[in-house]
Amino acid sequence: MSAVRIINGRVLDPANGESSVVRDVVIDGGRIVDAKGFSGATETIDARGGVVMAGAIDIHSHIAGGKSNITRLLMVEEQRANREPKGDFCGCGGGLSTMTAHATGCRYAEMGYTAVFEPAMVAANARHMHAEMKDIPFLDTGGYVVLGNDDFLLDLISSGAGQQAVNDYVAWQLAATKAMAVKIVNPGGINAFKFNQRKLDLDEANPHYEITPRTILTTLIKAVTELGLAHPIHLHGCNLGVPGNEDTTLATIAATEGLPLHMTHVQFHSYGTEGDKKFSSGAAKIAEAVNANPNISIDVGQVMFGQTVTASADLMSQHRNRGIASPKRWIGMDMEMDAACGIVPFVYKEKSFVNALQWAIGLELFLLVEDPWRIFLTTDHPNGAPFTTYPHLIRLLMDKDFRDEHFARLPKAVRKHSIVGELKREYTLEEIAIVTRAAPAKILGFKDRGHLGAGAVGDVVIYRDDPDREAMFTKADYVLKNGQVIVKDGEIVSIAYGQTHQVAPDYDTGIETKLDRWFDEAMGFKAKTFKIADDEIRDGQGAVTHATTRSA
Amino acid sequence: MAETTSHDVVCPFCGIGCDDVTLTVDGAAVTAAEGTCGRAAQLFARSGAPAPSARIAGRDVSFEEAVAEAAKRLGASKTIAYAGLGTDVDGVRAVLKLAAKTGGSVDHYASEGMFRNLASSQRKGWVATTFAEVRNRCDLFVVVGPDPSKAYHRVYERVLPATGRFVEGPRRVVFLGGAPTEDAKSQLEGLSVEIIATPEGGLVDALSQLSALVAGSVPPAAGPEIKALAEALKAARYGVLAWSAASLDDDGDLVIERAVSVVDALNVTTRAACLPLSGKDNLTGAYHATLWNVGFPLRVGFRDGVSDHDQTAYATANAVKEADLVVWTSAFRPELPPASAAAVIALSHPDTVFDTEPAVFIPVGQPGLDHQGLAFRADSVVGLPLRRYRDAGLKSVADVVTLISEARA
Repeated sequence: MSAVRIINGRVLDPANGESSVVRDVVIDGGRIVDAKGFSGATETIDARGGVVMAGAIDIHSHIAGGKSNITRLLMVEEQRANREPKGDFCGCGGGLSTMTAHATGCRYAEMGYTAVFEPAMVAANARHMHAEMKDIPFLDTGGYVVLGNDDFLLDLISSGAGQQAVNDYVAWQLAATKAMAVKIVNPGGINAFKFNQRKLDLDEANPHYEITPRTILTTLIKAVTELGLAHPIHLHGCNLGVPGNEDTTLATIAATEGLPLHMTHVQFHSYGTEGDKKFSSGAAKIAEAVNANPNISIDVGQVMFGQTVTASADLMSQHRNRGIASPKRWIGMDMEMDAACGIVPFVYKEKSFVNALQWAIGLELFLLVEDPWRIFLTTDHPNGAPFTTYPHLIRLLMDKDFRDEHFARLPKAVRKHSIVGELKREYTLEEIAIVTRAAPAKILGFKDRGHLGAGAVGDVVIYRDDPDREAMFTKADYVLKNGQVIVKDGEIVSIAYGQTHQVAPDYDTGIETKLDRWFDEAMGFKAKTFKIADDEIRDGQGAVTHATTRSA
Repeated sequence: MAETTSHDVVCPFCGIGCDDVTLTVDGAAVTAAEGTCGRAAQLFARSGAPAPSARIAGRDVSFEEAVAEAAKRLGASKTIAYAGLGTDVDGVRAVLKLAAKTGGSVDHYASEGMFRNLASSQRKGWVATTFAEVRNRCDLFVVVGPDPSKAYHRVYERVLPATGRFVEGPRRVVFLGGAPTEDAKSQLEGLSVEIIATPEGGLVDALSQLSALVAGSVPPAAGPEIKALAEALKAARYGVLAWSAASLDDDGDLVIERAVSVVDALNVTTRAACLPLSGKDNLTGAYHATLWNVGFPLRVGFRDGVSDHDQTAYATANAVKEADLVVWTSAFRPELPPASAAAVIALSHPDTVFDTEPAVFIPVGQPGLDHQGLAFRADSVVGLPLRRYRDAGLKSVADVVTLISEARA
């Protein structure tokens, strides 16, 4: 591959402490090299007037797997209305909140994203997710395996098998499903719903296993800490969407006792019960707790107004929400002693008190959490909004006048209940580079992504420095994937594929005897059939395995 | 070549996904050991005779000539129906990519039942479940309509062993509007099995009554058996309504809709789920790969580089009437292409005996025997890894389709 030299651009590389430094960026052999010591670039890109950043990384976006396919099935009108136009790089797919694989890669790449992680890979469905990711161009990908509702684990914990056995099992699952991290969705709650329990608080016992979400959470936090995973437990907490869940969220933060925890789509977990409508913003309290606890990171799960579809492993919550489906249809599924899924189409309405306040709560979180290294820009695609709304969200964060203009459109009752109008903070470009690049790379443990230092992958983006930040981040001037120009003037100009990322900490293979028996007896097929082989990933290319403290 | 025996082979045919097949391979000859269900053993078995040559209009030709002829015919045709689609996920991907370039419709030959399911799931939704959930939780299993084990041979052995991890007491199995085969009865030995007969065409009414009863609305004119079943479902901890959509009659859409509403009503107070089975020859994988690549569940059409979906027009039965060329893929079994006036390019199982000789015939390998690949289980969630066990010189559908695509001028 030929070498590329990007000249005259303002380099924004917070991971290396570079804020608006005009310097060359050179990519050779797919990696960034020291520009000063390099000669022989065959291609030069003049980035004058532009801002150069690393490829953006989305740590939480539902882009692949069985539940994504159910969203496509249910939202057939959206698919019909949004067809990929004909073109040299068209995949003949479509969708917006339900975007097909090829379109997902294209739309992310045009915005300057080059790595996106699927945060809810149900183990039983891992093979599907990986097969689908093979068809997503441009993006490096990976999945977080959903644990914490799987009967094998709950049985291990409740039978007192001990932390070591849990660690071995978690490591086995990471290897078997080729996962990058561990996600917990409503710890124990999805499982409890299978036993007909409708709500499960942090300290409420699962009706069958008699263990609490707190126990499941702390046990799994310990497991990933002891296994040495870079990414902490990625938690979708208890009581999603329930007014008053701010208390659960605060109690969850306290439950970590200082160990690392990533709490996802926290907007959906920051609700109080004040006011006439018994629905209020808990953002200030949650942000205060996040600010005070450096072991906690969050992503927001911002909602935007319009039609979308909510897709979650949390069938307990989604069954509760089924009445608000719009259009009126929804699908639920219990899955393989593992987890579940619930898909509910939904329209967030600007004139709805609850929806408008949800929008405001998301922004309050963004503006009140002080450390940009511990907050991530997400809409929980497609649950809060499609990922294509990120540029609009960035402008809301960077441009107070713009934000106030949008805030002013909300119902008066909402404006009375939100402090968005009083918040003066405007994100800087550097902060945007942190929340979309440097911090995601750090929290996933990537040493060679999210920055522009020598040795980093050649995923580089050039944006024109447009004062309209929404326009700026909608279409990048240039996007390079491993040094190959894939986007020019906001349009796809060539095809490239990323890799799949996983971790594989070492474990005591004694756990395999137990799992073999579990699969034979409980699952009805063999553990060895369940395990995904290297040659099943991306046409035999395998996954990139990242180091952990306990690596094989 | 020495004989080799492989254990724990995954079976790709019906969609139950058994992984306890033992295959003995000697050269190209294959036999499946006892324990494999009769149908799978028959489908896995190969005589050892060399694979047939590719043919153009019945004349043996080289593989390359056949590929060139197929490419030429694709270029010369106006309307192409891609049909069969009995192949692994990579084969489906390759067909979709080719169809996007040439234009034409794409459907799976066994999709009729699946679209009956979609009439409910896509328009209204449902609560469904998977094999392992049923196996461990289900205390009351209601078979709606004809016995699915005719198509899914070992289904009861798989999902309803005598005991379930969370099941207290014996499981109950009720056949509503159908009856178990002798083989099903032997798989269900030790379980309480009841049959509630319905009059011809009366299954929809029975389910409507059941739905009203479980929802607590004014009891319609329901017989004592239906009333008792409604009470039993309400009292069950995890009731399951299962059906094979392909075996239902013409009123299948309505049967499914009513069964879904029974489950919907039950979930207000207890837990219940549907187990809709549809999945022969990787139908489920074809459905999934088409959804994630095109955005629609099969029966897609490509024109001028843009795709759309029409469950009637792009159904194979209708598409072949309009087509001047049918591209037929059937790698799992020697299934015949539909009769039509169109010329046929058949990428088919080597043992296929055609009624009408296709314009081009290229024998292809079977996923899970001749090459590795991915198929999906009939309950939609679980992917089945298929491995390679012999070399009979047969290429995969994906490889052949890709070569044809590249050979286009």
